[in-house]
Formats: sequence, C-alpha cells, structure tokens
Amino acid sequence: MNIGPIVRAMNQNRTRVLLIVLEIALTLAIVTNCVNVIIAERERINRPSGFDDANLLFVRTRPFSPEFRESATIDVTSDADRRSIASIPGVKAVANTNFMLWEGGGSSGGWKPVDGGQRQVTQQYYATTDIAQTLGLRMLEGRTFREGDHGVGTQPDPANIAIVSKTVADAFFPNGGAIGKAITRASDSGETVGDPVTIVGVYETFFNPYGYNPDTWRGVADRGIFMPARVGNYRTGLRYLIRTEPGTMTSVMAEVEKRMIANHAGRVVEFEPTPEKKARWFSSARLTVGVMSGLIIALVFVTGLGILGITALSVSERTKQIGTRRALGATRADILKHFLMENWLVTTAGLLLGVIGAYALNVYLVSHVSDVKMQWQLVAGGMVLLWINGLLSTIPPALRAANVPPSIATRSV
Amino acid sequence: MLTYNLKIALKSLRRNPVLTALLIGAIALGICVSTSFVTLRHLYTQDFLPGKSDEVFYVQLDTWGAERPFNEDRPELLPDLMTYRDARNLMQSKIPVRQSPMYITQYFVHPDPKMARPFQANVRLATSDFFEMFRLPFRYGGPWTKAADAKPEAVAVIDHETNEKVFGGENSVGKTIRLEERYFRVVGVLAPFRPALRVWELNRNPTGPPEPVYIPFNFTQPLEVPLAGNASSWKQETLDTYEQFLNSEMVWLQYWVELPDEASQRAYKEWLDHYARDQKKLGRFPRPVVRTSLSTIPQIIERNKFIPESVTTMSIVSLLFLVVCSVNLIGILLGKFLARVPEVSVRRALGASRAQIFWQHVVECELIGVAGGALGILLSLGLLEVLAKFVHSGEALRLDGEMLLVAGFLSLVAGLVAGVYPAWRVCSVPPAMQLKVQ
Repeated sequence: MNIGPIVRAMNQNRTRVLLIVLEIALTLAIVTNCVNVIIAERERINRPSGFDDANLLFVRTRPFSPEFRESATIDVTSDADRRSIASIPGVKAVANTNFMLWEGGGSSGGWKPVDGGQRQVTQQYYATTDIAQTLGLRMLEGRTFREGDHGVGTQPDPANIAIVSKTVADAFFPNGGAIGKAITRASDSGETVGDPVTIVGVYETFFNPYGYNPDTWRGVADRGIFMPARVGNYRTGLRYLIRTEPGTMTSVMAEVEKRMIANHAGRVVEFEPTPEKKARWFSSARLTVGVMSGLIIALVFVTGLGILGITALSVSERTKQIGTRRALGATRADILKHFLMENWLVTTAGLLLGVIGAYALNVYLVSHVSDVKMQWQLVAGGMVLLWINGLLSTIPPALRAANVPPSIATRSV
Repeated sequence: MLTYNLKIALKSLRRNPVLTALLIGAIALGICVSTSFVTLRHLYTQDFLPGKSDEVFYVQLDTWGAERPFNEDRPELLPDLMTYRDARNLMQSKIPVRQSPMYITQYFVHPDPKMARPFQANVRLATSDFFEMFRLPFRYGGPWTKAADAKPEAVAVIDHETNEKVFGGENSVGKTIRLEERYFRVVGVLAPFRPALRVWELNRNPTGPPEPVYIPFNFTQPLEVPLAGNASSWKQETLDTYEQFLNSEMVWLQYWVELPDEASQRAYKEWLDHYARDQKKLGRFPRPVVRTSLSTIPQIIERNKFIPESVTTMSIVSLLFLVVCSVNLIGILLGKFLARVPEVSVRRALGASRAQIFWQHVVECELIGVAGGALGILLSLGLLEVLAKFVHSGEALRLDGEMLLVAGFLSLVAGLVAGVYPAWRVCSVPPAMQLKVQ
C-alpha cells in the first residue's frame, strides 16, 4: 500500500487532521488517568480487613439510668447481654468490645517489647473472650482468649495477655517467635508505662482505617492488639459486635433489642450493620469509580462520534475525487483501504501524542492531588482501545466512500 | 442584524437535525459533567462566612512539651486545640468584638415521656458570641445574653430537629428542656441549617451536621461537663479529678475570635504573643520558641486538606472532558461550514462582507453552545442528585447562582472556542473563486 497519496491528501486538510490528533491525544490522556484512579480506588475498597465485615453487626447501648454509674451494673449487664444474644438463632458469636470498625478512628497507643526495642504505635482494643470468633480472625499461631481471661470487673484488673496481628508481631519481633514474649505500653519519650502484656496469639490480618488524615497515621491502620476485658462505663455505654449467619442480620437486630431492654431498660439501643458503615466509609471512593467509569464511556463515545462525523464530512467532500479514482481503475477495496489507512495514521499520531499527555497529566495529578503513578500497561491498553474505537468509527463512512460509483466523476456538481 | 443572523443560524441548524442534535448533545455532556464537579468542589471552597471570612480567626498557642513538636511530621503546626487554663485567660482580652471557646459533650435529652424515649445529643458549650460569629440562623428567639454567659444561667439554644422531636415543632422559646438531670430554658430555636462544612469544627469530622443543642460555656466547671472529643497532652499528669483535668496541659478546646479590622488583628496578635511570653516566664510553654497563631477558615481548610482528593481529580478530568467535546465540535463545524463554501462565496459575490459572514457563523456556533449549555445545566441537576447521595453533606449540594454563571460562561466559551476558527476559515473564502468553478 502506498502511503504517499494518503499523506498528501491529509496535507490538504491539515487542520482537520490536527483536530482529530488532538482529540485522540486528550482522550488517551484522560482515559488512562481515569482507569488509573479507578484501579487505585478499587484496591482500597477491596482490601481485606481480616474481619467478616459482611456479617458483623455493631450494637451501641447508651445508658441513662444512673444505675449504670456503678461498675457492677456494667459487669453484670455485659455478661447477661452476651449470654442472651449468643442464644439468638442466627448469631454465631458475640463480644463486648470498644472496637468500632470502619469509623476512621479508635484507640491507639505506643508499645515496645519488654526486652528493649523501638516504640511503635498500634491500635489497641479490649474485648471479651469470643472476639476472634466474632470478627472471624484467622489465627496463625498460639491461641485465642479463654473463659476467665478477662477477670472479674471492667478493666480494674489490667489485662496481661494479648492477641496481636501479624503486622504487630513482625514490628516488635522481626525474627519471629512472638508467642510468649511480653510488650508494654510506652510513653512518647519511650518510658515504660504499666504492666507487661504477654502475647498469646498471632492472627493474620487487621485493617481498620485510622485518622482523617491517613498521612499522619500511616502504619497504624493495619496493626491491632486485642486484650481481654469487659468494656463500658456510664458515658460510653456497653458496645457489642455480633457475627451473624448470612442473611439473618435484620431478624437478629429485632431480637437483640428486645432481649437487651429486658436485661436492663435504662438505656437506648442503636444498631450499625458493618456493611452499611463500610459502604459509608467508601462512599466517595465508590463515587469516584462510578464517575470515572461513566466519563470513560462518554469520552470514548464522543471521540468515536467525532471521528465518524469528520470522516463522513471528508468523504462527502471528496466524493468527486473518489469517483475519479474509481473511474481510473481503483477498486472498492482500494478506497476502503485509503480511508482506513488515513484514519489509522491519524489515530496513531494522536495516540503517540496522547502517551506524552497521559504521563504529563499523571505527573500533574501526582504533584497536586493523589499519589498514584501511571502504569505502562494501562497506556498500552488505552492505545489498543482507542485504535479499535478509531477503526470502528471509520468503517461506516469508509464503506460509503467505497460505494461511490465511478460515474460520479463525469457529473459536473 | 442579530435577528437576521439568528434566523440564518436556525435555518442552517434545522437543515441537518441529526448533526445538530449530536453537536448539542456533546456540548451538553461536557457542560453537565464539568458544572457538576465544579459545583461539588465549590462545596468545599465557597466563602463560608461571606464578607467576614478574613475577620474570624482560630487561635492556637504552642503549649506543647520541650522534647518534640505537636506533629512530628509537620513541625510547623501548632497544637490544634487549647488548654482550659489558656482559654479562660484568653477570655479576659477585650480586643475581639466576639470570641468563644468551645467543645462538645454528649448529653441525654429527656423529652416528655409521652412524646419520645430519651435520646443522646451532641451539646456544644460556647459563649453567646458564637451564634453571631458563625451566623447561625434562628427561627424563634435568639442567642442567650451576656449576663447568661457570665452567671451562667441554665439556658439553651436547640436546633430545628430537636425542637420537632421534643416540642413537636412549635415555638418553644421559654419552655424548658431536660438535659441529663438538669432543666434548661430554651431561648432560641435554629432554622433548618446544613452547611457543607461546620466551619467552627474543623478539627474533627467537619462535614458532620451542626450540633443539636448549645449551652453556655461557663457550665464547664460547675457541671463537670465531660468532653466528647479528642484530648491530648505531652505531659504525664495525674488526672483523677475534673479539677486536675481542667488545670492540666491537656489540649481539648477550640478558641475563635472575631477581629473586624487590621488594627485590632495586629493588637490582638501582640496581646497573644505577650500572653505567651508571660506564661513562659511562669514556667509553662516549654517549647524552645514561643509561638501563637491566628488562622482564617480558608487557611485551616487549606492546611488540613479538607477537599477530598477525588473531588479535585474529578473536576480536572471533567474540565478536560469539556475540552475534548469542544475540539470535537471544532472538527465537525469545520466540515459543516466548509461544505457550505459555494453558498458563502455566492453571498460574498453579492456583497456580503467578511465580517458579516464571520459573525453569522459565530452566532450559529454560539446557538449550539447556548442550547448545549442549557441542556447541560438540566442534565447536571440530575447528576448532582446522584452525587448528593454519595457526599456527607449532600443537602448542601445545589446549583446556586454562582455555579449557574459558571455553567453559562463555560458553554459560551465552549461555543466560541469551537466556532471562531471554522467561522474564520469560511469567511476567508474569496468570492469569485467558487463561482468560477461552478
């Protein structure tokens, strides 16, 4: 195939060619950056938390009866609530805890190994014995809590065992063998605070977003320590996590409220299904994914229409020339090839420019907004997509060109 | 002349309705997407206190420990909150026209048992100045008095929703509301009010709703009001009693002042620096350099990076999308206009000037731009509905006058950008040329 005439023909229409090149370049730049953002957001949304999020129900009780000012009432109610919740059909496990997942915060503190080592910050929560079963933690080493681990009252007798996430075990004991080792709380300046706590179990994954500004709290989100204790007081009330059988959450909720009010009526019971909390936490990420996907489709569509429109116009403008070529012996296939080739050249030029644009836009976004680097696979994928798009939108007008009869060359207008 | 141009433009647009629909549709899409995201971003960048965003200041004192700054990653930042002692001392200054320390507690509201079960509500403790400083709108009554601040009197301001729940929505000014064990007299009921950001609460969940109940700050000590929020400290202190908590180096309060002019701003900053140096002499403020700071709301929004990254990314991308739509339009218009060259050259030969031809075509493009813009604005109303479901403060997400102007401007620019070059190309056709060919 001879490229010469095609290039010369394009040269007659420089502006139009330039416009398509520009449009394709912009489209590639935008599409690749959108996909890049989509991938990053989806990774964030789908990151495993280590918990059975889909089936966890968070229950908050808020006391207004002054009886709850007595810690004895708290202890008794915590035990009674857990017993009566555990026997509800559809409940797999329940724990009284101060761990509220997917709220973007919680409790954290500095810890260090007793035998010396660097102070590191981790999330830290108290919970009753069934916390591992409730959250659905996958234990790697050691054991979970046993009945009696949490002593008699709420926190007066400081817990001295803990189960920790693998990230915590690795942070304090990089050479392994965390089970049986002791860690202690450490003040800002690294001084030991309180009693040593012995690690009895290590579980696989912990992830709970921590802090509105993730920069300040990098590394805290995926570290978690659980210590055995009943948790609650007059101000915070008693809080529970309940793991339900799939599909039973709604029926469990109604029953839980009834039994809790029966145990003590001087309080308000509120429910927060974890799937809803998680969806709320990721609402802006999901919005981004939706919007970016929509934009990509709209953009590819608009660009396709643009190519179609411009090629159609250039075909109707060149009808006479096409007729002449046909009369001089060019076959339909030649005409078809001419337009497809012309379009391929223009698209390719646009895509090459677009590669530069894609990286430039990414550099701008990285320096001003997010920190997601462009991946070359994406650019390659975007190029293939737009090549196909360009080809598909050239075919209809190119076919029309191929159907121009040679006799048209002899007509005057 | 304009009406004539409009007539010709309409005629030309009607000649090829499918192409016209495509052109208008593409511009409408671009306008819809870009207007929606610019509006979304505007939610966070708007002027929250029109006319006085540079007169209301957040006060910070560097009371942190000697060893390390408040935020090790960003040592330039001062502690984001203030100690109770400093807040009390700052209240002595007569320079600000309005000022208020503030924080949130959680109290149980006990409605008439016949109306509803008790519920827990966030209660903000502040001075009477708070309401005017942040322009909270009242439906009934108003803020409490300075005398109520000083004493303090058991008075409260409640929001519209609490008024609905507790008093069934009637004018409850003068009635009493029970918070925990104590009765407060309602002096004001707020009108329904949901700003995109609670600008007075920029430390913690700023996109949350305004608090339902407000009571005088001076109840803090007598009622031993528990804090529902963050308190942090650099110092190991015994904090067994409430008194010890109030006198500690714990930071937990916000402090706002209103300083209407430069003179008072300068005077207050001097007063503040002087206060900090005095405190250092007394053995507090152990950091090597004594620092105080006054920041406006926009400064804090910028510093705390409140605008979600995704929103900025989406605004940039949507504006680029509009550019693509415009480029697309240029290409198609160019083809359309050039196909009309014979007609134009006849008009030129019959005496039409270049300018006339040029304007006629620009008007045609603007017609497309305006039609696309109008359709785009309609579409963006729909898109904003969808977006509102995903944003915390969705209720505040509206196309206001300013955003309508932006949309109109964008569509005019898009039409102009797309139209000028094709119009220029077609008007520079020499008159005789085409006649000869024909």
